[in-house]
Amino acid sequence: MKGLRKVLTPFAPDQSGASGVLYSMGALIVIIDAGGCTGNVCGFDEPRWHESRSAIFSAGLRDMDAILGRDELLAAKIKSAVERIDTSFVAVIGTPVPATIGTDYKALKKLIESKVDIPVVPVKTNGMKLYNEGEKEVYKALIDEFADDVHSDAKDQIVLGMTPLTYGRDHIDLSIDDIRNIRGAGKLIAASSSGIDACEYLGRDFEIVSPVYKNSIPEGITGRTLVCHDEVVGKTLRDAGVECDIATFFKLHDSVRQAGDKKITEEDEFIEMVRTGGYDTVAADICLKELVPDYKGNWVDLKCFAISGRY
Amino acid sequence: MLPKSSPVWQNCFWKGEPMKHEAVCYTAEEVLKRGKSNIPSELLSGNSLVYSSPATLAYNSPGAEGFGVKRAGLSVPESVMLIVAPGCCGRNTSLISSMPEYKNRFFYLEMSEPDLVTGRHLNKIPDAIGEVLTFLRDNGKKIPRVVMICITCVDALLGTDMDRVCRKAEDALEGSEFEGVKVRPCYMYALTREGRCPPMVHVRQTIYSLLEPMEKDPRSVNIIGGFAPLENTELIEYLKLAGIRNIRQISTCKTYEDFLQMATANFNIVIDPEVRAAAEDMNKNLNIPYVELTRVYSTDKISSQYKALASVTGIDIIDSEEKAEADEAIARLKEAFPDLTVNIGECANANAFELALSLTRMGFKVDEIYSVLAPENFVYVKNLAMLSPDTKIYCNMEPTMLYYKISQSKAHVTVGKDAKFYCPDIPNVAWNQDTRPFGYQGVRDLMNKIFEALTEAKA
Repeated sequence: MKGLRKVLTPFAPDQSGASGVLYSMGALIVIIDAGGCTGNVCGFDEPRWHESRSAIFSAGLRDMDAILGRDELLAAKIKSAVERIDTSFVAVIGTPVPATIGTDYKALKKLIESKVDIPVVPVKTNGMKLYNEGEKEVYKALIDEFADDVHSDAKDQIVLGMTPLTYGRDHIDLSIDDIRNIRGAGKLIAASSSGIDACEYLGRDFEIVSPVYKNSIPEGITGRTLVCHDEVVGKTLRDAGVECDIATFFKLHDSVRQAGDKKITEEDEFIEMVRTGGYDTVAADICLKELVPDYKGNWVDLKCFAISGRY
Repeated sequence: MLPKSSPVWQNCFWKGEPMKHEAVCYTAEEVLKRGKSNIPSELLSGNSLVYSSPATLAYNSPGAEGFGVKRAGLSVPESVMLIVAPGCCGRNTSLISSMPEYKNRFFYLEMSEPDLVTGRHLNKIPDAIGEVLTFLRDNGKKIPRVVMICITCVDALLGTDMDRVCRKAEDALEGSEFEGVKVRPCYMYALTREGRCPPMVHVRQTIYSLLEPMEKDPRSVNIIGGFAPLENTELIEYLKLAGIRNIRQISTCKTYEDFLQMATANFNIVIDPEVRAAAEDMNKNLNIPYVELTRVYSTDKISSQYKALASVTGIDIIDSEEKAEADEAIARLKEAFPDLTVNIGECANANAFELALSLTRMGFKVDEIYSVLAPENFVYVKNLAMLSPDTKIYCNMEPTMLYYKISQSKAHVTVGKDAKFYCPDIPNVAWNQDTRPFGYQGVRDLMNKIFEALTEAKA
């Protein structure tokens, strides 16, 4: 059945992707939820939360707040926090609750900005899409809000999409200054699906490559291989000489896709690819092995936090 | 988008007046002076954005920590859970489903955006249950007796009638090999956390609603409220000495049939106020009355409770030996660490304010408490203020807790998982184990744990 998971737990959702990009930017991050979604981000999907504090808050919505659409109350809570917490901007991140009640994010931005003297960046996530979509949404929102046409302090190179959810400890954080000067960066690198989306949105030339796997083919990959990870990881391995098909639960861009590659959604699609593909090696997070216990080939564990939650 | 020339945008990188960077707190004396009807808003929940501390995760997110709705629902033996929700709601279940006892017990039906508009996810539930049961059968697993359907905030807002959905799902199993499998709703509605029927109250009602009337056994008693067994507490011994043969807790029921035997109880002992509504239901539907015992850390209070229990139930309780043991543990700690100062969090098997008052009455000092101050706990603060007016009260949910500085604290030891988060360099007794300490055993073991933590730190 479509949408039914019998073995795997759900993957990192869009709101986790959005907060992951924002985590290092000094924003006051407000997740518009009752508490559960923030619990999921801080308690699970944001490994840095255990190491360094960041200003991630739950809106603390209660049923009547949602039913009556008390945006004024939310704006007042944010105002009170902004007055007491050092921050350069406010990011409000959507969840299933505002998606259900049809929150108007443009109006919400306007309302909050009328109360605080710093920019407000709304991110239209809904908890039903995957993390790469949340990362894409937040990159677009940040570029719209901050990316300057005049760039005084541009870097030679900026890597987009290299977040903990895709790369675990090998992530590269961006600062808000990086976003401000992004149009003037010497070179843009898309390190994951959301990086490709962000670079395309900027309308500039960019390179699609994973800095982690560029010069480092994981040990054990031999023969025909199925790589199941982010599409850029698969492409990088292919470009490095691995004979592989790419399967991804996330997005597969036309610029990456080749014959044999597949965007998959259901557990059964992965099972079928492995069973019928005749692969010598499967390079994927080890948690996926449970789907194909009868697979006798070589398995190389390509850790992916967004899939298994292993950092 | 704001024009770049606007003052709002310009302020983006201007820090303005330096902020205080201090966590807001009030002393017990200040809280007492303001009175119960004027508790500072920073100490209450619901008035501000919610800071993400470990305690907040447990308090505000009913599936995140400890026995949240998901684990609670699966405390029924031979049950599985189908989480019908957006993917985000089931994401952190990875933490739980890796535990061996939950293997093959969590399943997910992920909602999509069209489901939100059409509600068609509800129509898919009977087929999804059929597919889950078939999957379990084909993999040689035991067919569950109960399927818990866990739904979340979205369905709370859609006003989904889950009782009807579950009835329909049970009907769909009729005539199949899975006929008789019960389907029940579990509401993981964080939105109703402070409502009339919060998720953790409702899930207990759901669990005990599975019981059906049975002949009473005068020598059977249930202890209800927890999802893991009580620790080796004297309460069990007192009941046994009084001739009670069957003392049942849901966590000690090995099979669904064992669980159903809870309906034979002569009375229930309620050890958590969140099970009170379920106890009321059992009184009404199964004719099982209940008595309520509170977990406290004052040996005098514990003694009074046991006297009251003996009087209500007509059993004899002689507690002098256990009380003496607990008092000895207190004395040993006091002798070894006469100036002991403690910080207390709410992520512990204790009411932080009651524990603070009890420790103060024992002669220890309490420097800081990290807990939401619910009005019903004002009575403890009132008494605490008389003995220890300078004890500081912080609220775990308050946004300025981001700026809490460990250097402010004078404590030698902290109690509670959240207290360790704020004071990582001070010896900590987490005291948040799944199994529940209770009565004199709780006091004795806590004193011993603090003693061990301090002795270890000293060494």
